[in-house]
Amino acid sequence: MSAAIGMEVLKTKGRKIWLVVAVMMAVQLLWAGWAISNKDANDLVQGWMFFLYQFPMLNCIIMPVIAAVVASRLSDVEHKGQTFKLLETIIPAQRIFAAKFIWGSIYMLGAALGQLAIMIGMGFVLHFGGPVPWGALASYLFFTLVVSLTIYIFQQGVSMFVANQMVPMTLGLIGGFIGLFSMFFPQGLQKLILWSYYGVLMQVGMNWDQTTRATDFYWTAIDWSGLGLILVFFVLIYGIGRILFVRKEV
Amino acid sequence: MLIRVLKAEMIKMRHSPVWLAFLLIPIIPAFMGTFNYLNNLGMLENQWYSLWTQHTIFTCYFFLPVLIGIYASYLFRLEHANHNWNAVMTAPVPITQVFMAKLMMGWLMVMLTQLWIGLLFIISGFLAGLAGPIPPELPVWLLFGALGGMVVCALQLCLSLVIRSFAVPVGIALMGGIAGLALLSQGYGIYFPYALITLGMRANDPAAPMSVGEISFLIACAAFIAGFCLFAITWLKRRDVVTG
Repeated sequence: MSAAIGMEVLKTKGRKIWLVVAVMMAVQLLWAGWAISNKDANDLVQGWMFFLYQFPMLNCIIMPVIAAVVASRLSDVEHKGQTFKLLETIIPAQRIFAAKFIWGSIYMLGAALGQLAIMIGMGFVLHFGGPVPWGALASYLFFTLVVSLTIYIFQQGVSMFVANQMVPMTLGLIGGFIGLFSMFFPQGLQKLILWSYYGVLMQVGMNWDQTTRATDFYWTAIDWSGLGLILVFFVLIYGIGRILFVRKEV
Repeated sequence: MLIRVLKAEMIKMRHSPVWLAFLLIPIIPAFMGTFNYLNNLGMLENQWYSLWTQHTIFTCYFFLPVLIGIYASYLFRLEHANHNWNAVMTAPVPITQVFMAKLMMGWLMVMLTQLWIGLLFIISGFLAGLAGPIPPELPVWLLFGALGGMVVCALQLCLSLVIRSFAVPVGIALMGGIAGLALLSQGYGIYFPYALITLGMRANDPAAPMSVGEISFLIACAAFIAGFCLFAITWLKRRDVVTG
């Protein structure tokens, strides 16, 4: 397996995939800076909660795009060179699938860690109120990673299966947009949509006073059933994707 | 010659799955915007104008830049595949016309998208039970939005020319759209191509005149388009193609 992953590392060398992740993180940093810039000292007391509410919302659209781009970059190199058949003569197909997943996951982990660094960095610089909620931040990292990897494995499956990369890219974008909009959906329906789990696993809720136009954030209970469901989705999508890829005539 | 190159572009786009994105993607912000409007009738009292803000808030920042990114990536997809750049560059067609044909094809798609967005807006308004006539300014909003879209199209074509990947330029388009939201709020919209769509479509306040003035907007569009065309044509003339 390590040889297969090593090959993926070599294939992505010079393809600037980290640059894509860095650009996405820069936009997230810009957004966070813009969102927090019009907050006064009173609002900054709830700064950590504000970020733990804002970031998952933004993730609905940003992380699916990172997943789609990374999966597409790792797969289109094989489609362009028509190398799947060659690869399968030296490595079992399921190992190729696993190696691509593991290497793609590193990029998703990098993006999630980047977000966490932005949150913590801005929190310290702007002196958010109260102690740093390390537990909530760690949970945020874990939830973001679980949802992102599930979306990534979906994207990888489609990108490896369909040579025309417009299809997975469009599917990923539509999914991301529906995920963003799903925050308006009832919870039952929300849980059927892969891209909406950033919202399902949010740890912070928001009250908005229509008359004063003031916002107030509060901690919410973690939706463990939602976490269970997304893990089931992950296993299912990984299994189906792998079976389809192994059986595919390349 | 340009007509013939344009015809070749049209043949390449025939039966392409990009039309599926053209049809489906604008439906999402129309649905989201109408849903949002109907849920906030207490605050959104300006009928068609309020509905327009809800439609365009999603369209301009997220959907349209991405959709144009998909169009541009698709327009260069065939050239980047196999060794087709060799065939394109050795054909007896001036480089300028190769790029201009792609740009015109992209612009045509942008204009058709704007028409589709306008139609979806009217349908949504009637379905939402809006009384009163359709805003007479609608064609102007769509036209100026199309001009902003043309700038983004020229920029995305440059990106898709340089970056030999379908996905990366589309990702950049989305990031550009989101960054446009932040820059527009700071008053720098006219200097940022992706924010021109929002400015042109009057997404923030359709009842008011354009915040930067029509002339400034048109000058910015013309300057950006000229700059991007110059870049792409120079790139094609100076750089050796990469194939495979």
